[in-house]
Order: sequence, then C-alpha cells, then structure tokens
Amino acid sequence: MSESLEQSFVKQLKENQNIVHKICRLYTVDSDSHNDLFQEITIQLWKAFPKFRGEAKFSTWAYRVALNTAITLYRKNTRSINTSSFENHKFFIAQEDYNPEEEEKLKLMYKAIHQLNDIDKALVFMYLEDKDYQEIAETLGISEVNARVKMNRIKTKLIKILNP
Amino acid sequence: MEELDLLKKSWKKDNQKFEQVSESQIYKMIHRISSSNVKWILIISILEFVAWTSISLCFNTDDYFKKLHAESFITFFKILNVINYAVIFWFIYKFYKNYVKISTTTSTKQLMTDILNTRKTVQYYVVYNLSMITVSMILGFILAYLYNPKFDTIKFQIAHDNYGVLFKMIGIFGGILFVFVFGFWLFYKLLYGILLRKLRGNYNELKKIE
Repeated sequence: MSESLEQSFVKQLKENQNIVHKICRLYTVDSDSHNDLFQEITIQLWKAFPKFRGEAKFSTWAYRVALNTAITLYRKNTRSINTSSFENHKFFIAQEDYNPEEEEKLKLMYKAIHQLNDIDKALVFMYLEDKDYQEIAETLGISEVNARVKMNRIKTKLIKILNP
Repeated sequence: MEELDLLKKSWKKDNQKFEQVSESQIYKMIHRISSSNVKWILIISILEFVAWTSISLCFNTDDYFKKLHAESFITFFKILNVINYAVIFWFIYKFYKNYVKISTTTSTKQLMTDILNTRKTVQYYVVYNLSMITVSMILGFILAYLYNPKFDTIKFQIAHDNYGVLFKMIGIFGGILFVFVFGFWLFYKLLYGILLRKLRGNYNELKKIE
C-alpha cells in the first residue's frame, strides 16, 4: 500500500516535473538555487500528497503547492536578485529552432521577470500557463477583478523594466 | 505586449529544455530529512568519541596505579580499555552503515525499518555508555578502597565492627554514582534526544502515508 502511494507520487512528479522546473525558472537565477528550490518543492509536494485525492489533475494540484512553496520561501529570505549569474541558468536552447535575436529578447524578458516580486511572478507563471483569471484569482486568494488589474500592472512594470 | 507573447510561445516549447530529474533522484529528495538526521548522529558520535579520548589522554592511569602500588590492575584496565574502544568503534561503524543505508534507500518500507534500527542503535549506544560509566566508577571505588592510603582510617573503623561507617560510605558513593549517571543520562538525552525525536516524527509521517 505504502509502496504504491510513494511510487505513484514519484512517477507522477517525474512526468510533471517540467511544471516545477518552470516555476524554478521564474524564481531563481542560477542552476544551484534552481535545484534547491526544486528539492524544496518536491519535499512540500510529498508532505501534501496524502491530502491529494485525485479530484484535480496532478499537474493542477502540484503547480499550486509549488507556487505556494516558492512564494513562502522567497518571502522569508528577501534575497536580492543577482542578475549577473543569469548565464549559469539551466536553460538549454534547442538547436533546431535557435534564433539569436529571439533568444536575446527572451533572456531580457526573464531578467525583467526576475525583478518582480514573489506574487507577481506567480501571476506571470499562471498567465504563461494559460490559466484563466478565475483560477488565478482562486489560487492567489484575490478577486478576479483584482487579478486582471494586477496582471495589467505587471505588464506595465515589465515594459518599464525593458525600456528604461 | 510583444515580448510577453513571445515568451508565452516559447514557454510551451520549453519542456525539453530542462535537465530531467530521475525517479531515484526524487526518492532521494523525499528521504532527505531522515538522512540528514542520521548524518548528525554519526558526526556527534565521532565528535563525542574524540572528546572522550582526548580527555582520557590527559590522565595517566598507569602512574596512578603505580602510585597506589596496584600494578596488577594496569593490564586489567588496558584490556578493559581495548574492549571499550572496540565496542565504541563498532557503534560508530553501525552509525555509518545506518547513514549510508538511509541516504540510499528507495523504498518507504525499508526507510521505516532503517529509522527504527537507527533509533535502536542509538539507544543501545547510550545504555552501553551509561553502564560503562557505572562499572568503571564502581571499579575505581573498589580500587581506591583497597589501595588508597586515605581509606585506611575508614578500613580501621569498619574492622572494629562499625557497620554504620560502612553503610555511610556506601551511601555517599551511591549518591555520587547516581548524580554522575543521571548527569550523563541528561547529557545524552539532550545530545541525541532531539535527533531521535525528529527521526520519530519522520517515521510517524511515513506511517501516516502508509
């Protein structure tokens, strides 16, 4: 019984690990802290797993727990963001569709996102994941209108950071 | 916002870009809590061993025995010492084995057994150390009574059928012994108790999942 529960957790997390990687991608700037956050999220997911009843999809449940972990963790230690180590990040470019100009733009974009606060990053993550505003609002415990307003403000912030 | 749309487009394709974590790596991550506790048990036991050894090096027991003209005890204590070191080394080896086992295991059931084994090893270790302290204190007392000239007056009194003195002496010694053993017990409780409690917490959590 215990075996199957643990095995099913490990299997599902392995299959859905990209969602965790993507959150780490937004919250951390180098591969060491990426791995640390990944491990921390894994532990929190495992602790919360007995409460996961399979009503939602594993990925939906996992991204919520993972976002909460990232938010609490980065709220606790308000470390200053070190953008210089950006190049070290675990971010591999698939060779086939390598487009230097686009790649440069994406790099700058990530750099800009790293300067947002923990909640804003969570919003960006859900926006990129194509979550609707109702779900965003529910996950963050804010109203739908508030979520829309916040997202618009984030866009303005990002534009400002990209075009100083 | 053009850049955000660009990011959204590449976001979907990003899946292959992350170094994938294997199943065994995930197992290791979720077992990390226990393995770090067991690592500390190992480290503390080694530090403790080093501390006791360096303290005992400061006291030269051979000289003490010679002064008391109890040379026959030197060999006896040497043998006792060797046995003691052997047992402690065996315990440290066990702690090390436990640590290796717990940090590499991939099944919850095995991990639970390993946690129980580690807890038992630590308990045996503490019991062994406490009984060693008791035995060596009793031996030390008998030795002092038999050979130390300071006890001559007491011996003289006991020889004159004064059992009150004998009981008083045994009472005082028992008190000292109790204080020492109790002190060490507290010391161990503090040193290993915290780690053992954490291990038990981890064990209970694993049990809940089962």
